[in-house]
Amino acid sequence: MTLYNPMDLTGKTIVITGAASGIGKATAILLSKLNANLILLDINEKGLNDTKSQCKPDDFIGTVDLTDESAVETILKEAVSIRGKVNGFAHIAGIPSIAPIKAITKKEAQRILEINTLPALYLAKILSNKKYKAEESCSFVLISSVYANVGSSANVLYTMSKAAIQGITKSLAIEFAPKKIRVNCVAPGFIKTQMGEKINHFFDSEHDTLIESMHPLGLGTPEDIANSIAFLLSDASKWTTGAIFNIDGGFCAQ
Amino acid sequence: MEELLEQLADILEIDEIKPQDEFESFEDWDSLSVLSIIAMVQSKYKIVLTATEVRNSKTAQGLFELIKNKG
Ligand SMILES: NC(=O)c1ccc[n+]([C@@H]2O[C@H](COP(=O)([O-])OP(=O)(O)OC[C@H]3O[C@@H](n4cnc5c(N)ncnc54)[C@H](O)[C@@H]3O)[C@@H](O)[C@H]2O)c1
Repeated sequence: MTLYNPMDLTGKTIVITGAASGIGKATAILLSKLNANLILLDINEKGLNDTKSQCKPDDFIGTVDLTDESAVETILKEAVSIRGKVNGFAHIAGIPSIAPIKAITKKEAQRILEINTLPALYLAKILSNKKYKAEESCSFVLISSVYANVGSSANVLYTMSKAAIQGITKSLAIEFAPKKIRVNCVAPGFIKTQMGEKINHFFDSEHDTLIESMHPLGLGTPEDIANSIAFLLSDASKWTTGAIFNIDGGFCAQ
Repeated sequence: MEELLEQLADILEIDEIKPQDEFESFEDWDSLSVLSIIAMVQSKYKIVLTATEVRNSKTAQGLFELIKNKG
């Protein structure tokens, strides 16, 4: 008897952005264990190679700056010609931004949106096209943050970019429902990854303890988020669309 | 130094700051000022300062030297 696994991804091809590090990397490794075929995108080639070494040997890796829409389309075209049409994507790449309102600039605001938010739109546009989309089930997963749900000082640009992701999730869920494409969102609490390391210098040493205390279940791991992404990409969630999953150790329950 | 003084005055919402003025003597000096200075220095000078370094620099002159030494 074969073991029943409702999250099995055999035969599905999934695109993952931000696959070189943290949550994206953990998601790639988990989806690979669930037997998905992967198209892994990131700007960091070395990290991508490291992730690939823990996935299937014939998975596709593409080094690309996600802010470059035409480069993204070119690489997806190449990937689909090799790996076949796509059953979904998870846009996980993202960057933090710590700055009080008086220190922000329009240029920085645009940079944050260009990485965290806008690729969600053009990935959805490209991968909902029949040229790239598989006939069978199709699921798109976007990554928001607890900071789209609760306010946080000196975080307005990041919050803007992640709140927009929740709006995009709901609107696309409705627009794509007739095409049977599901669109959902995961809003993680704090996970120790390189993202945290990039902004650590802004804070005093007590900050870590404070952040941890805001999570009733303690801090999460990249795998905690990867599990929810895998569920949303699999047919186990086939009646779920437009949903925002708070995977945050209880952060938003308070 | 001139440019840095202007940027600091902007962050502290005052007309002018002198090199020896203590940050803590300004009404608007708070934890957000520290974050603003870190973000400003990172975007203008491509130098990463920590919150402790900024606090310990104490004055505009101290901050100027910190940036120079890390640059
Ligand atoms: N770590 C957390 O606590 C946390 C909490 C809430 C939400 N998130 C979100 O989860 C996602 C993943 O975060 P993480 O913690 O794994 O971060 P991470 O820094 O470990 O990984 C982010 C990845 O995105 C890639 N990337 C950045 N800019 C890119 C670009 N222009 N083109 C292509 N790739 C690019 C990086 O190279 C990196 O591999 C992000 O969207 C983040 O906002 C993280």
